[in-house]
Amino acid sequence: MRRGMVIDLEKCIGCRSCAVACKQHNAQPAGNWWNRVVTPGSDQHQTAPEKGREYFLPIHCQHCQNAPCEKVCPVGATFRADDGTILVDYERCIGCRYCMAACPYGVRQFNWEDPEQAMSRYHYQDGYAFGNPREYRYQGRLVYAPVRTKGIVEKCHFCVHYLDQGLDPACVRGCPGKARTVGDLDDPDSVVSRLIRDKNGFQLLPEKGTRPNVYYLPPKRKEA
Amino acid sequence: MSTTKKIAYLVTAALMVAGFAAWGYQLKEGLVLTHMRNSYSWGLYVSTLAFFVGNAAGGLVLSSLIYLFGVKKLKPFAKIGALCAFANVTAAMFAILPDIGKPFRIHNMILHPQLLSPLVWDVAVLNLYALISLVYLYLLMLPELTGPFARIAIRVKDPEAFSETWARRLAPFSLVAAVGIHVVTAWVFSTQGSRDWWFSPALAPDFVAVALASGTALVMLAAVLVYGIRDLYRDAYRTLAVFISVAFFIHLFLMYNDMFIHLWYGAEEARETLAITLRQYLPAHLFEVLAPLAAVVALLSARVRESAAAVAASCVLLISGVLVHRFLIMPAAFDRVPLTIAPLGLQNVTWSVPIASGRYTETGDTFVTAWHYFPSAIEITIVLGVVAYMCFLVMVAIDRLPITERST
Amino acid sequence: MKLERRDFLKLGLAATALSALDLRFLRPMDGARAAASASLEQVIRSTCSPNCTGACGFMAQVNDGRITTLIQSADYPEAEYNPRGCLRGLSMMNLIYGKDRLKYPLIRTGPRGSGEFRKATWDEALDYTAARLKDIMAKYGSEAVAVTVQVPGTGYVQKGAFVRLAALANWSIHHGYDQNGDLPMFWPMTFGVQTEELESLEWPNARYTMVFGSNIIQTRLPDAKQLIEAKKRGKLVVFDPDFCATSAKADEWVALKPDSDAAMGLGLARVIIDRNLYDAAFLRDFTDMPLLVRRDTGKRLRAGEVKALAAAAAAVKVPEYRDQFVFLNGSGPALLNPEDLGPIDARLDAEATVDLADGTRVEVETVFRALKRWLADYSLERVAELTAVPAEQIQRIAIEAATSKPLHVIYGASNYQWYHGDLKGRALALLPVLTGNIGASGAGISTYAGQYRIRFDLDHWWLPPEGKLNWVPYLYFLQGHGKRYPEKGIKAMFGGWGNPFDQHNMANRLKDRCASGDIELVVTFDFQMTTSCQWSDVVFPAASWYENYDLTATILHPYLQLQQPAIAPLFDSRSALELARGLAKRLDPGIEKYFYPELEPQAAALKVIEDMLAKGGAETRGITLEMLKKGPVRVHSSAPGDRQIPFHEQIHDRVPFPPRSYPPPLKATARFVRSGRIEFYKDEDLFLREGEQLPCHKETFADTEYRVDPTVRDKYKLRFVTKNSLYRVHSTHSNNVWMNELQGHQPKVFLNAQDAAERRLEPGHLVEVYNNRGKTRATLVLDPGCRRGTAIFEQGWWAKYLHNESYNSLTMHWIKPLHEIYFVPGIWSPTSVWNECLVEVRRAEA
Ligand SMILES: Nc1nc2c(c(=O)[nH]1)N[C@H]1C(S)=C(S)[C@@H](COP(=O)(O)OP(=O)(O)OC[C@H]3O[C@@H](n4cnc5c(=O)[nH]c(N)nc54)[C@H](O)[C@@H]3O)O[C@H]1N2
Ligand SMILES: Nc1nc2c(c(=O)[nH]1)N[C@H]1C(S)=C(S)[C@@H](COP(=O)(O)OP(=O)(O)OC[C@H]3O[C@@H](n4cnc5c(=O)[nH]c(N)nc54)[C@H](O)[C@@H]3O)O[C@H]1N2
Ligand code: SF4
Ligand code: SF4
Ligand code: SF4
Ligand code: SF4
Ligand code: SF4
Ligand SMILES: [Mo]
Repeated sequence: MRRGMVIDLEKCIGCRSCAVACKQHNAQPAGNWWNRVVTPGSDQHQTAPEKGREYFLPIHCQHCQNAPCEKVCPVGATFRADDGTILVDYERCIGCRYCMAACPYGVRQFNWEDPEQAMSRYHYQDGYAFGNPREYRYQGRLVYAPVRTKGIVEKCHFCVHYLDQGLDPACVRGCPGKARTVGDLDDPDSVVSRLIRDKNGFQLLPEKGTRPNVYYLPPKRKEA
Repeated sequence: MSTTKKIAYLVTAALMVAGFAAWGYQLKEGLVLTHMRNSYSWGLYVSTLAFFVGNAAGGLVLSSLIYLFGVKKLKPFAKIGALCAFANVTAAMFAILPDIGKPFRIHNMILHPQLLSPLVWDVAVLNLYALISLVYLYLLMLPELTGPFARIAIRVKDPEAFSETWARRLAPFSLVAAVGIHVVTAWVFSTQGSRDWWFSPALAPDFVAVALASGTALVMLAAVLVYGIRDLYRDAYRTLAVFISVAFFIHLFLMYNDMFIHLWYGAEEARETLAITLRQYLPAHLFEVLAPLAAVVALLSARVRESAAAVAASCVLLISGVLVHRFLIMPAAFDRVPLTIAPLGLQNVTWSVPIASGRYTETGDTFVTAWHYFPSAIEITIVLGVVAYMCFLVMVAIDRLPITERST
Repeated sequence: MKLERRDFLKLGLAATALSALDLRFLRPMDGARAAASASLEQVIRSTCSPNCTGACGFMAQVNDGRITTLIQSADYPEAEYNPRGCLRGLSMMNLIYGKDRLKYPLIRTGPRGSGEFRKATWDEALDYTAARLKDIMAKYGSEAVAVTVQVPGTGYVQKGAFVRLAALANWSIHHGYDQNGDLPMFWPMTFGVQTEELESLEWPNARYTMVFGSNIIQTRLPDAKQLIEAKKRGKLVVFDPDFCATSAKADEWVALKPDSDAAMGLGLARVIIDRNLYDAAFLRDFTDMPLLVRRDTGKRLRAGEVKALAAAAAAVKVPEYRDQFVFLNGSGPALLNPEDLGPIDARLDAEATVDLADGTRVEVETVFRALKRWLADYSLERVAELTAVPAEQIQRIAIEAATSKPLHVIYGASNYQWYHGDLKGRALALLPVLTGNIGASGAGISTYAGQYRIRFDLDHWWLPPEGKLNWVPYLYFLQGHGKRYPEKGIKAMFGGWGNPFDQHNMANRLKDRCASGDIELVVTFDFQMTTSCQWSDVVFPAASWYENYDLTATILHPYLQLQQPAIAPLFDSRSALELARGLAKRLDPGIEKYFYPELEPQAAALKVIEDMLAKGGAETRGITLEMLKKGPVRVHSSAPGDRQIPFHEQIHDRVPFPPRSYPPPLKATARFVRSGRIEFYKDEDLFLREGEQLPCHKETFADTEYRVDPTVRDKYKLRFVTKNSLYRVHSTHSNNVWMNELQGHQPKVFLNAQDAAERRLEPGHLVEVYNNRGKTRATLVLDPGCRRGTAIFEQGWWAKYLHNESYNSLTMHWIKPLHEIYFVPGIWSPTSVWNECLVEVRRAEA
């Protein structure tokens, strides 16, 4: 089993709902976004680039098979789950940020300040905090907590906290474009494998040799 | 104690206290007090680590030269060298501590070392190196551990010979360790395919070259401060100057060789990366090259070497050049976010994908494609504290321990 | 954090009122595993109901009495609809728990607009409001109090409570539809209905989709996937002067000149007619094309006028809202029965001379012939010039569109929010009608503005027989006079679910009128401290759609859904029903009984829903509250599978036009298509005088900006397009911290690089957009997709984000007199035209 995701850029309408769903379900404090959606070539999202075609690109952790972040982590806080998902152990991370330097996709987020402090920048009433309220441990290791501590790194964990409940990741459930599909990349007959095969799935920065488990399908396709 | 000394102690002590206090404050508030952000995740602290690691080279290299290659005239500087090595390698470790988000979890490095991580290797070699330089220093001091120091001297029949023999035996290891800290520290960076600026086979040799230059310059600086210019050491100074120069020129060669190859090939990403150093940070780049160059030219002149002040100034100039060089490890790696893509259907364009900086303000943009970093006051204070520690340690040791040659 | 049973009890909700749903609705990948953890989760389904009218089902996860996460419910029976929802709906907690959330009733203490209030209890605030209202009613009459209720379709119960109160208190009422400019006037003119549209699930059934200025990717976000789906089997052509996000997804983008859609429509129509690509049978049976028009007067020929038909006409009795018109068949003029859409053997393209009853003879021609002659003015060359689109492209598209069935035309709000928006709509309606693309799956013309269309008969709750409403067009309120405008003016504004002090015309004049005391009382019911609240005398804190019960519907899909309380109303917020009840009691104890005083408010809402469903007519037959508690339920329609396909009944079962537009009775609206058919020929005097008997193209700004002040032509060279933002629903979410973070906390104005360069402006500059009427500020963005001569502003910012200078100080309440003909209380009245606005842009002083 190798868990992977396919994002269809033809279907992606750039709405950023996935980014918001991710932010919300994973209790990301102010300034922290695990998932982002951009308009390649344009500094203004959903505004045409100077040249070239306008399309939208969501980016979060690519769950690389050859994950530099995993290899550099001195304490094994970044580790690989059985299904290939790259997770961060919130209790082990020492906050060296080596993984951030190592990740070519810029998806890792550091808690520069106390997340509760950061959360307070949103000025909610009465100390309100959003996010899935329950901690989640993977093989005993804390990989999701509604409140993190300062000084550790976090990132997309493929919504491992929903896996047990049989739920798709928040960004998948939250995508009104139905652009996202998750599944088993090892299984050649899975929907994701077929999409990649039939629709020219590609990965980001293939030249970096990271072999992501997140694939994209090209935009501006015309289907018969 | 002379007034200068007193002032020196006072200043370094004050800086250490300030640095410590700053670190305490940073521990409380988080690294938000630095000017690093998600897009620019390493800054002055890591640069300083590399800088101190470089400075630590001199000592043991010097010793190995003496004991492996028999450059006897350098012998008077051997202990200063070892001391500098110890002081700098520990300073390197102190410099990196404040960079750690969860310093109180540092024991995880021992409990759960991840053997593939260059950082683990680096911590290992740095500790090893610290240990070796301490042992080395001890061995070299052994013959003079008399009087009040007798308590800490191991009892050997002929301390003089023991010291000599063991120093010689240890020399190859220390040389390997010295080269090791640079190579491994370089690998911390040069294994990172995500950062084009670092991802180069030339980085490790270059780190060694820089270290030989700056480490030696530091020893030389300490030596002139301690001994001044004396006929006795003329030769030694000349040798050091030549050594520094050669190392520096090798560094220049390695650095420009790398840049040249990238420029010649002309890949967009590499060009943009280089442009950061060569255009955006041009003054800094000029300084990192010209300051040491001037220092080297000066040191190579026998006339300059006549003046302790001139030698000291040259060394300081060189070392500051190296400091800036170390600082410049970061901008070209971090100023632009690494995820640049060529938008589909676009030719000749690479475009940086903005990332959440981790910094939220009610008027600013959280998402950035570039982050021009300059260390915050807290970072500078902490680093000054570490520098002060290094100087303080060297001063105290020279003051109290039999480090310097008794005037003969 | 562990969730325990007693935490649920703390919610303080009426146990019966709380309906917790299990994880069944959360799209499990593996049912068995999901069920195992279901017991831990407290998940309540509600419906996101702002003025985007997406009406998306959401699941709120509640922990310790607070909503911790939200996710699309994805429980619509058709998988294609799932998931519905967007970034705004997903971040509603930012509004519910945000810093601008209203906590308590507030009574103004400082000068108007100062935002100085004192906290009050509900009783105090109600007493105060009732006393002031009574005062005003005594002084100026009850009609001096005007109520506004925005998007009633998304809250039949709570919003209905305001309408009910207004009716019982005999107040005036503004309808949000025309206030917002969302009323596309071509609908009543052409089809006799308020507005119609395909449900988005029908989009993929089209083989050719033409979008005229509707930014579906952003403004119909949860439905955009159906548009992408439509591309698989058909072609998507987007007509937009600017390269909007939807253009980016199109197979073809047609960058026509702004406001030239009528010319485009007519040009396309002409190609279709010239090449005989029209559906003659359809035109004969369902449209006014075979009707005869007198060449002398331009009026349609009535059967009573014709010598040979007068007697026959007199013998047949037709309803008062119908007319008997005349067509030509093989043997001469024949009487058209407006109550029967059965096939007639009419000549489509003909002319004749007819003997009239008065002994004169008159030359007549069919509407079709008149149209053909009319279209002579719209040669490809001229249309190419008017639209700045190459003639070949227009011709090709016309042929493609006419030969790919079904054809679906989407006519966007921004496009009809122009002075001559009605003409554009009438011209564009020609495309599906000429090609017989009406009443069938995937076919037709749709407009998707806010949801004002009422889906079933709700008089039972809204309009008690004892009540009476005085519907006053909002634009009349702005200009201070007009038909049905209360004699002594409107002195009190009583509004909810809307933010007119930012969102409506002449926001600045409204403020002036408040400041001067002309408007004596402003009462606002909202859950955020909006600009309108800032300007109010009394503010009542509202419960959100996660805090009360309501019944919602929308135009995008045909599902009825509930709003259900996931949490108890926060702080001292309450439902509209409670507010209306409280006021009713104080205004006139006799009318309190209309608001279920014996029931606790949530229970009362449920009761209203039950009754409404039971009395809603054919559309809600068999639908019960219990069914709705389980999930969305389709309203019934005459189309197979209860699909929302406009005019299906008219075409399929040949039932005369129009279908009923709720709430008024059929007779009130049927008079606009007196022939019982789709009408393109309008012969009211004003139409004839304006030369608009058939759709035509008119020069932009000539009847508005340039007429009022000819110097504007040189002074203000940029048309001001205030379009809807991805990050807001109008001004709702203006203060949503994540939405603002995603936009870099900046209101923005978009210009073409050359326009910017001419004005020496650079991206990132803080600029001022100004004209004679007002000004606003924003950060400049260069947009290569923005046409020259255009300034686009993403509207919906509260004034406080704009240095208190609203973009709606720039717009103007133009009234097109033709619209006044189409006045039907409660649905139609002159409509706002936001885009009819010229401005200039300059660097703002810091
Ligand atoms: N995100 C979001 N969605 C919303 C809303 C919201 O506020 N935010 N509001 C809802 C409401 S109430 C409404 S009314 C709808 C409105 O939704 P839309 O009808 O989509 O309105 P806009 O986004 O204003 O503009 C759509 C496009 O019309 C184009 N346009 C302007 N003038 C012309 C013209 O003369 N000809 C042509 N062909 N195109 C033109 C503009 O360039 C723009 O790209 O959106 C609804 N959905
Ligand atoms: N210049 C310009 N102006 C425009 C437009 C334009 O394109 N250009 N567009 C126009 C259009 S199409 C429209 S539809 C209008 C929209 O105008 P409005 O409907 O007035 O705008 P909103 O900002 O959506 O206001 C809705 C208010 O209702 C409140 N609200 C939401 N839910 C609830 C609830 O459950 N209870 C209560 N009590 N309050 C609630 C929100 O907090 C918000 O303040 O704006 C129009 N104004
Ligand atoms: S939610 Fe879906 S459609 Fe929207 S940006 Fe994300 S992937 Fe694209
Ligand atoms: S995308 Fe970055 S963080 Fe994610 S697995 Fe790859 S290297 Fe690691
Ligand atoms: S920051 Fe944490 S996860 Fe990243 S490399 Fe360091 S210890 Fe590992
Ligand atoms: S899988 Fe989960 S954590 Fe990852 S981007 Fe999607 S929502 Fe965020
Ligand atoms: S804001 Fe509109 S589109 Fe978004 S979730 Fe709510 S109802 Fe749906
Ligand atoms: Mo609207």
